[in-house]
Amino acid sequence: MDAFNNFANGTVALFSDPLGIVIFLSGVVGGMLFGAIPGVSMLTLAAILLPFTAHLSAEHGIMLFSVIYCTGVYGGAITAILFNIPGSPENAPTAFDGYPMTQKGQAGRAVGAAVMCSAIGGTVSAVLMMLATAPIADWAISAFGPPEIFALVFFGLAVAASVGAKTIWKGWLSILAGLMIAVVGLDPVGGIERYDFNMPYLLAGIHFIPTILGFFAVSEIMVQAEKKVTGAYSAPKLSVDFPSFSELWAHKFAVVRSIIIGFFCGILPGIGATLAAFMGYNEAVRWSKERWEFGKGKLEGVISSETANNAATGAAMIPLLALGLPGGALTAMMVGVFQMHDMEPGPLVFLNSADLVWVVFAAMFFANLSILLIGFLETKTIINLLRIPFQFLAPLILMLATVGAYAVRGLVIDVVVMFVAGVLGFFLRRTGYSVAGIVLGLILGKIGEQTFAQAMQMLHYEWTGYFSRPIGLALLIAGFLTLGASAYRAFYAAPVEAPPEESKSA
Amino acid sequence: MGNLKTGHLVEAGLWLLLALVLFIYSFEFNNSIEIYKFGASGWPRAIILLIVLAALGQLFWHWKRGEGGATSKLNAAADDSVEAPDDHSSLGWYAHTFVLVAIPFVYMRVPDFIGGMMGLPPDGLGTIKMLTAAPLMVLFAWMAYRNQVGGMLALPIFFAALLEDMGFYALAPVFAMGVMYLMGERRIKWMAGVAAGVFGILLLLFVKLLYVGLPTGNVRPFYDFGNWVVTVLQ
Repeated sequence: MDAFNNFANGTVALFSDPLGIVIFLSGVVGGMLFGAIPGVSMLTLAAILLPFTAHLSAEHGIMLFSVIYCTGVYGGAITAILFNIPGSPENAPTAFDGYPMTQKGQAGRAVGAAVMCSAIGGTVSAVLMMLATAPIADWAISAFGPPEIFALVFFGLAVAASVGAKTIWKGWLSILAGLMIAVVGLDPVGGIERYDFNMPYLLAGIHFIPTILGFFAVSEIMVQAEKKVTGAYSAPKLSVDFPSFSELWAHKFAVVRSIIIGFFCGILPGIGATLAAFMGYNEAVRWSKERWEFGKGKLEGVISSETANNAATGAAMIPLLALGLPGGALTAMMVGVFQMHDMEPGPLVFLNSADLVWVVFAAMFFANLSILLIGFLETKTIINLLRIPFQFLAPLILMLATVGAYAVRGLVIDVVVMFVAGVLGFFLRRTGYSVAGIVLGLILGKIGEQTFAQAMQMLHYEWTGYFSRPIGLALLIAGFLTLGASAYRAFYAAPVEAPPEESKSA
Repeated sequence: MGNLKTGHLVEAGLWLLLALVLFIYSFEFNNSIEIYKFGASGWPRAIILLIVLAALGQLFWHWKRGEGGATSKLNAAADDSVEAPDDHSSLGWYAHTFVLVAIPFVYMRVPDFIGGMMGLPPDGLGTIKMLTAAPLMVLFAWMAYRNQVGGMLALPIFFAALLEDMGFYALAPVFAMGVMYLMGERRIKWMAGVAAGVFGILLLLFVKLLYVGLPTGNVRPFYDFGNWVVTVLQ
């Protein structure tokens, strides 16, 4: 009952504050639009907004970001379905079946399913988050120290490395490259300059926002440009025919399964929503009697992936608020918002600023509900974007990216870094490496090293210290098992042929 | 040689070379930290070791399995790699593209270098910068005309390299038209219209509504133009 009362108070606080309502609505529409416009993402919007949150209260800033998170994850599905450009990595599996559906002229059905399932997954997840975060924060204060957090980061990276790219080797090398980029700058313990090559810019480290913009937005434009020039680009066909309710009801088990998978994956650091979407999709394939239909435009593929990734949004707030550990790029930016207001996310925020937390929770709940309403109204506008020839969209996207990268710190060199990352991403993707893996390594690298150093100091540099810390030990063992199993599979299991070309490329 | 192809050896070689370079540079910050036994270089060196292991593991795997395919269905699903078209994977294409991508870096280095030799202060380099930029632009246009995809890869970097000096306001419309041209658009009226529209939207959204300060440039007359735009809008 406590949670219900708090939720009611949060709702009243949210909707009795005119500025709060304006920010809430801007977040809902903005997240959806930026999530949906190909080549930009909710991260672009969040990056551009980040400097301005200094002028808002902490409550409004965090609330804005959490609302953008909910609706942006849905918005990214629209580009995944219509353009085969996932708005963010968590929408990638949506494209596997969503894009073939577009090619078959069923874009409307796919988008409609994404609207419904995102709203359902997200709302259920928000409710679970409200019930679970407080007890977990209480428990975390006593049970989670740096050794556990390091073990959690390790486990998250091990899973991401094993399944994030074409082969486990390419997955690991991608993550390791990201970890190496995170090393550039000052070391977290002694403040010693590393790999700065005497350039002042590198002292502050390579910022993850230009890197993300480059790897995801810019490299995608370049891939599309190559297809355009070589004549392989094909404009998708259009239709607006939403799925019927009975059609969705037939997939109720897929929805429930994806909610459960999504929520538990969302709690993991680093890959939360991405892993959730992939696992949700993969389980849908495994449980299906018509598994060879997947990848060719099966509605259940879109449903499983979109339910799971939105179910992960609420879950991803748990490690952020209960442990202070960001689960992805957007939650990492929320850490930035907290820091701008001289607050550290973690169990203490939850205990000291309960008002803030519950306004954020209420906002996330209603943001997920509003996906239903606005999703149906706005989607038709967004589908019209399809009629814009890509060569006209590309300059807009590249310039939005330029503004986004520049606005982070007001440094032109960030724009250069972004475009260089775009070119690198273009060539890395030709060779099967995972740009998502690199970005994950980059984001978790700093936290990983810092918690590793603290853990080693706490345990007096003895790994055996983990034997007295069962949670950390279990996470480490799980990480090593994941790695071992995937290495074993790489050598002894039959290789899987890539899905047919037309389902993969634009 | 098992199932190895030259490409696999080159790939492994590049990773090992990267690891070696990073390892050598790690001696520059190999300082001990009083409160931390592993020092500043312990973590990076552990990562370098893992890179070497993974690169060798991949080489061994290719030796046993050839090209191999994805290691599991989940890996195949996560794979977002792109096949290179045949005419864009020759050595000649890579070399041509490499030169194109190098042009912006030439611009970022050369004026400072010349200015240093002539003993000019860093803010007195305007003329030299313009004199460097002009021939590089001509060279770039000539090369990009013959290799449009390479041009598309390099043009944004060139744009970013010029941004500090010439400013967003003067460069953005030209950049937009360049992108459209390289993507195959040839109708001048459409290109001009879209460039103006995109530029207008960005100015309204960011300069007028959000007050994001975009780079105005620091070389005249671009600097004056950028400031004039900002003054008019705000």
